[in-house]
Amino acid sequence: MSADKRNILLDSDFDLLLKKSLPDAPPEDVVDSVTPWKKAMDRVLIGFALGAVTFNFAMLNYILPAIGMVMVLLGFRALRRENRYFGLCYAIAVIRACYFFPLLVLNTTIYHGVVYGSDWITVLTVVNLLLQFVQYYCLWRGLREVREKADLDPSSGAGVWLMAWHTVTCLLGLVGNVGWIIFIGMIAAYVCIICNLFKLSRESDEAGYAITAAPVRLNDQALAFIIALLLLVGAVCGYVFGSSYKMDWTVSQNTVNSNIEDIKSHLLELGFPEYVLNDLTAQDILACKDAVQVISDVTDHPVNDGRTVTTKTPGEEGSGIDYYINHHTVYDTKELKITGVAVRLPAEKESWLIIHHFLWTENPGFFGTECIQLWPAYRDIDGWSDGGVLSGRLLYDKGGVTYTSPYHYLGSETYESDSIFWGKQTNTDIFAAFSLPNGGTNHRGYISYSVSEGQDMKIAEGYITDCWINYLHHNKCLQYPAYTAIESRKTGIWSENKKFKLVQDALQFYVYDSGGYIIN
Amino acid sequence: MHEREIVELLLNRDERGISELMLHYGPLMRYIIAPILSDARDREDCLSDVALRVWDKIDSFDDLRGSFSVWLTAVTRNAALNRARGVPAAESTEDIPKETPSPEPTPEEAVLIAERKAALGRAIDGLTSRDKTIFYRKYYYLQSTSQIAAELGMTERAVEGRLYRIRKRLRSKLGGEGYEC
Repeated sequence: MSADKRNILLDSDFDLLLKKSLPDAPPEDVVDSVTPWKKAMDRVLIGFALGAVTFNFAMLNYILPAIGMVMVLLGFRALRRENRYFGLCYAIAVIRACYFFPLLVLNTTIYHGVVYGSDWITVLTVVNLLLQFVQYYCLWRGLREVREKADLDPSSGAGVWLMAWHTVTCLLGLVGNVGWIIFIGMIAAYVCIICNLFKLSRESDEAGYAITAAPVRLNDQALAFIIALLLLVGAVCGYVFGSSYKMDWTVSQNTVNSNIEDIKSHLLELGFPEYVLNDLTAQDILACKDAVQVISDVTDHPVNDGRTVTTKTPGEEGSGIDYYINHHTVYDTKELKITGVAVRLPAEKESWLIIHHFLWTENPGFFGTECIQLWPAYRDIDGWSDGGVLSGRLLYDKGGVTYTSPYHYLGSETYESDSIFWGKQTNTDIFAAFSLPNGGTNHRGYISYSVSEGQDMKIAEGYITDCWINYLHHNKCLQYPAYTAIESRKTGIWSENKKFKLVQDALQFYVYDSGGYIIN
Repeated sequence: MHEREIVELLLNRDERGISELMLHYGPLMRYIIAPILSDARDREDCLSDVALRVWDKIDSFDDLRGSFSVWLTAVTRNAALNRARGVPAAESTEDIPKETPSPEPTPEEAVLIAERKAALGRAIDGLTSRDKTIFYRKYYYLQSTSQIAAELGMTERAVEGRLYRIRKRLRSKLGGEGYEC
C-alpha cells in the first residue's frame, strides 16, 4: 500500500474519530454564527451606517465610507441570489463602488478639482444618489420577501424610513446651510433608523435560515484586499504622476542682439542685479529700454522649520530672577532668495516696471505645485494703476544646460476667500501657478509687471509704494485630497500650515519727483 | 413570539406551541436537516419527527445548560442522523457513511467516547472562532464544502485548505503527530 493511500485512509479514520467524539451540542456562539443570514445582513447595515458618517478629521470622512462601501458590497454579494431585490442591491453596490473608489484615487491628484467642477461629475453624483435610494428600496423589498418566504409578518417599516431619510437629506443638501438643530435631528433620526434595521434583522434571523448564500469565486478577504491594493497602487500612481503640473520645459536659447546687450549694460550700470537680468527674456529687457533708475532689494528666506535654540540669560541683580530662559528658532539654511527690482521708465507720468525674481539656492527636497500671488502697488495705494504688462518665465539648470518654461498659469484672477477674521471677501490678484522639476539646480523664475500713475491721478510725493509677493511652496507630497498651491492660497491661510509654506516679501520704496528711494 | 413563550406553551402541553415552533424555528430545523438528508420527502418526515421529539422531550430542556436554539439544534441533528441511518446504504448521502456512530455504545465504548469528547472539546477550544465555526459546520452540521464556502464568503478551495489545517492542528493537539499527512 502506498504512503498516499495509507494517509488517505488515516485521514478518513481521523474524520470518523472526530465525528464520533463530537460534543452532543455545539457551543452557543457557534449555534448563533451558523446561519447564512446574520453575517451578510450585519455587513450591509454596518456598511450603510459607515457610509453616512462624516467625521472631518484624520481622513475618517474618506476611510469610513470606503470601509462601508466594501462591507455593503460583500454583504449583498452573499445575498445576491436569494431574491431579485437583493440581486439588484448587489448590482447597485458594484456600480456605486465603481464610481466611488476611482474618485478616492482621483483625490490623490491635483486634477480632482477640475473633474469635480465638470458637468458630467454633477450628473454622476445625482445618479449615485438615485441609485442609493433605489438600493434602500430594494433592501426594504428584499427584507419583506425573506420574511414572506418564512411565513413571517413582512412589515419592515425601518426600510421605508431609511428611504424617507435619504430623500430629506438630499433635499436639505439642495437647500444648503440647514443649521445645527436640523443637522443633529437628522443624525439622531439616522441612528434610530439603523438601530431599527438591526432590530428587524435580528427578528428576521429565524427567517434567514431559509435563504441560500451565493457561492463566490474570490474570498471576502481576498476581495477586500484586492480593493485595498488597487486603491493603494492608484494612490501611489496619483501622487507620483498627478501631483504636479505638466510644464513645457525647453532648452533656453540666448538671444544675441547688440540692442539688448546695450540695454543690459545700461541696466547693470544702474545697479540691476546681474543674476536677475540674465534670466529676463529679450522682450522684458526691451521693456526696460532707457531706464531712468533701478531699485532692488534682496532677501533670503527659510522654507524649513529651523531649529529651536535655548539660551539662558542671567537676571538683573535685585530683581529676584536668577535667569531668563529664551527659546528662539535659528535657520541654518535659507533656501529661497527673493529679489525685488523696480525699474523707473521714462514717461511723463510715473511709470515703473516691477520684477519679482525668486531663486532656490538649495533644493527643498520636494516640488509639487507652487504658486505666486502678487499684490501690486495699485491694489491698495491710490494713484497707481495697472500698466498693462505682465510676463515671466521659469528656469533651472541641469548638466550645464539651462531649461526654461512658461508658467502653467499666469494672469489676474478674481476669487472669493473666506476668513474667520474678515469674513467673505472678493479679491482680484495676479497669480502664477507652476511646478518645478525635482531634479536639477538653481530653480528660479520671475514675474514682471508695470505700474503707472493713473489718469487724472497723482502719486503723493514721498508716499510709500509697496509691491508684495506671496510665494506658496508645496512642501509635503502626501496630502489628501491633493490641493494645488493656488487652490490652497485662495481658500485661506489656515489650510496652508502643514502642507504648504508661505514666504512673503515686499519691495517697498518712496517715490519722489526726483526718483525712488528704497526703504531699508 | 419569544423563545420563552414557545417553551412555556410546549411545557404546558398547549398545541399552539408546536405551531409556533414550526413557524419560528421551522427554517432553522430545515437548515440543519438539509445537509444530512438529501431526499425532500425524508426531510419533511424528519421535520415531523423533530416536532414530535420536541413535544415529547421538552421536559429535558434546561435553559441553564444552554439556549433553546442549542437544544433544538441537537435534537434536530440527532433526529436527522437517525433517519439517515435507517436509509439503505445504497441511498445514503455522502456525508453519512455507514460507519456513522451508533447511538447505543457499549459501556467501555461509552467511557472511551466520553474521554475522547473531553479531549476533543479541549482541542476545539484552542481553535480560533472562525476555525471553530468551520469545524462544527463540517463535522457537526455535516454541511458540504460548497455550502460552508458560500455562507462564509470563501472559495471551496479555501475552505478545504482551512479544514486541512484544522485537522492537522487537532491531530497534533490530540497527540497524533505521527499521523502527519
